[in-house]
Amino acid sequence: MSTVLTVDHLDKSFGSKQVLHGVDFFVEEGHVAGLVGPNGAGKSTIMKAILGLIPVNGGGVEITGQPVSITSHQALRKVGALIEYPGIYPFLTGQQHLELFADKHNKAANIKEIVDALGMGTYINRKAKLYSLGMKQKLGIAQALVNQPKLVILDEPMNGLDPQAVKDLRDIIRKMAANGTSFLISSHILSELEKVADDVLILNHGHIVRETGMAELAHDGGVTYEITTGNLDQAKAALATANVAFTQNGQNLVIKDDEAVGTLNQALYALVQHGVAITAVDQKTRDLEASFLDMVQKDKKEA
Amino acid sequence: MGTLIKQEFYKLFHKTGTWIAIGIMVALQIVFAIVRMVNPDLFTLGDLVSLDFMGGGLVIILAVAATASVVAQEFQFGTMKQLLYRKYYRSQVFISKVITMVLYLFILQAIATIVTVVLSVTTGKYDWLKVVGKHANWETYGISVIGFFLVSLLLLSVVLLLSTLLKSNAAAVSTGIVGYFLMNIASGIFIALIDKWEFLKWNPFTFLMVGSQVANETYSKMTHLSTPVMIGGSLVYTVLFTVIAYLSFRKRSV
Repeated sequence: MSTVLTVDHLDKSFGSKQVLHGVDFFVEEGHVAGLVGPNGAGKSTIMKAILGLIPVNGGGVEITGQPVSITSHQALRKVGALIEYPGIYPFLTGQQHLELFADKHNKAANIKEIVDALGMGTYINRKAKLYSLGMKQKLGIAQALVNQPKLVILDEPMNGLDPQAVKDLRDIIRKMAANGTSFLISSHILSELEKVADDVLILNHGHIVRETGMAELAHDGGVTYEITTGNLDQAKAALATANVAFTQNGQNLVIKDDEAVGTLNQALYALVQHGVAITAVDQKTRDLEASFLDMVQKDKKEA
Repeated sequence: MGTLIKQEFYKLFHKTGTWIAIGIMVALQIVFAIVRMVNPDLFTLGDLVSLDFMGGGLVIILAVAATASVVAQEFQFGTMKQLLYRKYYRSQVFISKVITMVLYLFILQAIATIVTVVLSVTTGKYDWLKVVGKHANWETYGISVIGFFLVSLLLLSVVLLLSTLLKSNAAAVSTGIVGYFLMNIASGIFIALIDKWEFLKWNPFTFLMVGSQVANETYSKMTHLSTPVMIGGSLVYTVLFTVIAYLSFRKRSV
């Protein structure tokens, strides 16, 4: 699998304020990378630097091995992007927007495909000045995807989209990624990002504080189980007798599983032995939001 | 570059206002032709031809309005990023806009000229081949059009500079049109002052007289500059304002 995007020790300052500190990451072919971070962390600045829209103070960006900078744009030939908010000419229809920016090759077919995939058919021939926020957002996404790029940069793509449109977008991203398109997506809707991203980059104060696979992140801090029983007091006593560590979440007991020791097995055995009725066992992995908040808190403390 | 210019024209000619403005210009020319037919003493056919049946004034106003919005609209609509994150550079995007505006000026003038020719021979008996003074009528018309282009390019370069400084399309267009009239007023004032302070003849407003002087060399007494110097000077100022406009455009953040 080849690397499509390489961001190498990127530094960027606005005046005396340094906003990016040696940002370093890569995105592989067919991978979806989620870029998350608090407001002002530098997400949009990274994206603008990748797209050669702003000069940088140090480091560099390469797309499919070709350098990109404010004076070197050749590698952007196969890139699609939606940055901050969709740029829309109010006097053009959605169809005209796509015709304006679509490459000649397979133009009509590519436009039709993306319009159908995003469910824009009913209003694509209306002037964009009549579009709602969500319609404009879809048009911005369609513009980014219409040329079937190798790399897609999407900044908060779910803004203003209804649940059906979010699902449609997720399906499109997964389909394009399966065909080899790479994505770098920033979003504050972490639950959505979690569903679509393969990798996650957590950015805080211009530093990448964590770069990992989504699956690895979910297992950060181990897996926990929530056990629901018929008798809470009896269950607590049983676990205490068996020396199984637990915490309580409402009427449930929470066990942190340690595969080496087999904590869950020990707990269930103890409960059964003491005649406690087990009504449910739920496996809980950490979600992106929890990991993100932990990471940001930890970074804050260290700072 | 060809793609960028095509895209600029695509945007320009998909604005309803562009077609309405051209329609108004042609309608105005027809109205003045009819007025002259009804009341021949009001205007001579020669005067109306030299003014493109009053369409000439609208050509420059329409070109000013289009030029004023050509950069400002991209910032107002948030579309500048889309233009710049592709394989093109800021310089190419800027040059494509300049070329589009120059071509648009040519197109407007071509429409005005075609309508003028048609109206002059259908509503009157204007003899384009008749020699008056040194030149045939068609030559005199052609020379005045060349002069008109020179002054228009100078004006458009100033308007383009204003357009790169403003974020709102409406503000840019209104500033451009008001600026056009103010520049003409300022030109008149500076011309009056040249007799007193000779060095003032080099100010850019003097060169707004280039159109008049190319058509009628006696204007050199007012400008204190020969016609070739006026032509060269207006081109130098046009290039200078365009370069400043580019530097301003290059510094704008997206």
